[in-house]
Amino acid sequence: MAVFADFLPYILSGIVWTLGLVAGGLSIGFVIGLFMAIGQIYGGEEIQAVIHGYVWFFRSIPLLVLLFLFYFGLFPASGYKLDPLACSIVVLGLRSGAYQSQIFRGAIISLGDTQLQAARALGMSRLRGIFHIILPQALRISLPGWSNEYATMIKDSSLTFALGVLEILTRTRYVAMATHEPLVPYFFAGGLFIVLTYGGTKIVNILYERTKIPGLVGKL
Amino acid sequence: MTSSEIVLKVEDVEKGYSDKKVLNGVSFEIDKGQIKVICGSSGSGKSTLLRCLNLLTRPDKGRIWLEGEEITKGLDNVNRVRQKIGFVFQEFNLFNHLTALRNVSIALQVVKKMSKDEAKALAMKELERVNLENEAHKYPAQLSGGQKQRVAIARALAMNPVIMFYDEPTSALDPQLIGEVLDVMKKLAKEKLTSLVVTHEIGFARSVADEILFMGDGKILERGPPNQIIENPAHEDVRQFFRRINELYRREQR
Amino acid sequence: MTVELIVVSVPIGVALAILLGVARVYGNKPISLVATTVVGTFRGLPAIVTLFIIFFALPDLGIYFSSYWSAVIGFVLVTGAYQSEYVRGSIQSVESGQSLAAQSLGMSRSQEILHIILPQAIRAALPGISNEVIYLVLYSSLASYIGVQEMFGVARTFNSLEFRPIEIFLTAGLLYAALATVCFVGFRMIERRLRIPGLEIAK
Repeated sequence: MAVFADFLPYILSGIVWTLGLVAGGLSIGFVIGLFMAIGQIYGGEEIQAVIHGYVWFFRSIPLLVLLFLFYFGLFPASGYKLDPLACSIVVLGLRSGAYQSQIFRGAIISLGDTQLQAARALGMSRLRGIFHIILPQALRISLPGWSNEYATMIKDSSLTFALGVLEILTRTRYVAMATHEPLVPYFFAGGLFIVLTYGGTKIVNILYERTKIPGLVGKL
Repeated sequence: MTSSEIVLKVEDVEKGYSDKKVLNGVSFEIDKGQIKVICGSSGSGKSTLLRCLNLLTRPDKGRIWLEGEEITKGLDNVNRVRQKIGFVFQEFNLFNHLTALRNVSIALQVVKKMSKDEAKALAMKELERVNLENEAHKYPAQLSGGQKQRVAIARALAMNPVIMFYDEPTSALDPQLIGEVLDVMKKLAKEKLTSLVVTHEIGFARSVADEILFMGDGKILERGPPNQIIENPAHEDVRQFFRRINELYRREQR
Repeated sequence: MTVELIVVSVPIGVALAILLGVARVYGNKPISLVATTVVGTFRGLPAIVTLFIIFFALPDLGIYFSSYWSAVIGFVLVTGAYQSEYVRGSIQSVESGQSLAAQSLGMSRSQEILHIILPQAIRAALPGISNEVIYLVLYSSLASYIGVQEMFGVARTFNSLEFRPIEIFLTAGLLYAALATVCFVGFRMIERRLRIPGLEIAK
């Protein structure tokens, strides 16, 4: 146990990397997801088909396979050199975008046609209507589903150990292998993940409560 | 009157919820073969009373005897008692995932431990009794309201209860479907099946009930034979209630 | 091996999910608390960490499981925990009237749950359960890191022998996708078989 205490800081510093992965992945996913949701609902048939294919691809292929495919295959082939961290963030982001697009899509659909019709009746262009009327509401409604995505991302970030990214799990493995005492490190890492998962979800829920539109209880 | 003739005896039953008292001391008896009807305005506690009587809800105070056995104290097995009471709900509460036949037979198999064939045969007989033998293989969602309620009655009858409780059996039905359910209930009443019916159907009460118990504010305000209660009640609230109903009927008859 | 893992883990996982769901809805305080803790733990842990704990950490306590069984136990716990949320929700969605009717016929609590509530609840939970099973298909790739001979591990081995990452991993990915689709279609068929006639039209 005393030996482990020495390694504690090492594992804890992995939190920064984990959070970095999560923040990066969620942000990229947010932008992609938002555009795709809007495209799926308001776009033409070709756009919808492309988005459909993208979503299917990133939801049907395991994350581990995606990580390896991109890191060892696609990125080198395209000529870009990316380190494991950056590559992981990109892959996590691309994948999260697929999931987030469905969350936003559901939220927008739950609002119905009438909101946009009202906006356009007032003379707003489609774009303005989407930006000023639809999105503010849809984003708030999405928060519960989004907190789910956050939780998933925290947990999936641990899979980047396969590429050697120095997040929590990777460091835990090193410690376990070095000290030949896997029990405490792994349980500790487990506890850490649970705290990060539920703690973060709690924060998102508080955010949801704060920004809730009065009377509009999650129509999802 | 010997006590062996009394099927149900209720004494000073009280029930309250956090905000209000729903039953304020209700007492009455039902003899074998009698049909008693409970009337009253909404909120008088009628449904709560029925649910207390088969212990779906526990009364706060009071005692209840079924066939001489006190069921409010020291009861070893409430399920055994419930088998003796047939309960028909306002919302039918048929088991959605089972056919009409299966709805009637399932308790026979699971609770009474009958064999599959015995249960099926008995269930079919009960469905014939309510004129639904042709719908035996339909699911609740495929049946009309009146048919659903008749299946519910068959389901309760199959358990061979000593008394039937009907909790506003026709209140959830479209008007044209009420008749078929009342006809079945009248038929059963003619067969002298001891029953306690909570209902608004005054015509039914008048033609079939041995006694009407009028409830208000959680108590029995007045009780007596149908003609007396409906035509010439003593209590002011009862008088007002039936006056309003008579006015409605008269208006419709014009 | 991937297929075998799924085929074994899913039924046990579903059984666990039902157990946990029922425990949380109908259990008394202690039982419900235990169930909730179990569910909370395995939904909060990354699946890979669960697997590693079972395979690498437990031996420190003297508990040894083979690669295969570590994977099965781990997946059962994880998928059981996630699925129990669907089960719990669907149990609560069964109208209370069904309960009342069952009790008024003299059914005991366990008879009521077994014959009336669960048949309806499980049908309602099927879409969610099929979702989780598909996740399991994808996350089975994790098992390669505790020594199970499954598709992803094999792919990595191929890749180290003959470095052709795009072909190899793309193929592996599409194989998983195919497996996932098979499960999806399979569950659709099960849902159709179990549908309660008239109920969807009524809805």
